[in-house]
Amino acid sequence: MKLINEQIEYLFQFTRQHYVEWYDLQTELVDHLANAIEEQWQQNPKLSFEDALQIEFKKFGVFGFMDVVEKRQIALRKKYNKLVWQHFKTFFTIPKIIGTATVFLALVLLMLKYPFANIVILTIFMISALIFWIGMIKLSRKNKKQTQLMGKKWLFKDIIYGFGTFGGLSYIPIQIALQMYDKISFFNLIPSIIISATVTSILLFNYIILFIIPSKAEHYLKETYPEYELASSL
Amino acid sequence: MFVKSNFNIMKNSQLYKGSLNTIIMKLLEENGRMYGYEITQRVKEITKGELNITEGALYPALHKLEAEDLLDVEVEKVDNRLRKYYKLTEQGTKETVNRLSELEEFIKNMQTIVNPKLSY
Repeated sequence: MKLINEQIEYLFQFTRQHYVEWYDLQTELVDHLANAIEEQWQQNPKLSFEDALQIEFKKFGVFGFMDVVEKRQIALRKKYNKLVWQHFKTFFTIPKIIGTATVFLALVLLMLKYPFANIVILTIFMISALIFWIGMIKLSRKNKKQTQLMGKKWLFKDIIYGFGTFGGLSYIPIQIALQMYDKISFFNLIPSIIISATVTSILLFNYIILFIIPSKAEHYLKETYPEYELASSL
Repeated sequence: MFVKSNFNIMKNSQLYKGSLNTIIMKLLEENGRMYGYEITQRVKEITKGELNITEGALYPALHKLEAEDLLDVEVEKVDNRLRKYYKLTEQGTKETVNRLSELEEFIKNMQTIVNPKLSY
């Protein structure tokens, strides 16, 4: 005996009720539950759909699907961080390294030669954080709109448009800048190099997280979810 | 096969947890591509019901291996639903060989320690 469409739809609802908001995880769990229920019907055809479902759901343990969801988030965040890191590394290969080195050296020179460099650096930190926050709000709005249109949420998409764990870290550079503001002399070589490297890295991460990855989001989503296109047409 | 004989009593212990990824990879090496439910059933079948992979452990393990690029996924419409199949990537196939030999070595050592008379 096979599950009918209404029962499949009910299973989707069931996963949503149990805090699985993402379609990619829902489909996998629905297929699992459906297979398991069909298997139970083979052993005991009189068993009701609802009872069979409860038996299978219990097998997931006291936390239900929570553990599966949580671990999936961790796994996809790792994937995202790896993606960011891969892009970051490309800025240290030819030809991009020329741009990276130019920014870095310009900042070092600025700090060594210019007496008010600390103000300039603080301003750069502030502006980059501001751009980051504005970008974050814009992209998350865009994601919300798309989700509403599509009617489905994808975990990796939410991570891309929510910047993984980087969002929460964005205030750290400002804290550092404020701390340094009147404590560090920018005229020494070593601090200049360290701060320039930090600023350059922050600018690069900003650029990657805010512009590069979202611009390639569709490509990464199709790569992560072979069902992405299939589901869009369903 | 490789997990059954010595650890029957501790079916849900840490020992199995550590071997879960290797079990999954070994099955995929043998069967090409499989979906989640199929894996739980196959393990039950092979171990004649002695070993039960819990759903709450299987999917996190699959997702972790996927994020590590050891597994690749394919999705197909089967009956009235989408089915997600997992298969080993090239890197995953290489890693399976390593992990299996590591596990075999581990079992051999454990046998020597736990049951010295049977050691070889």
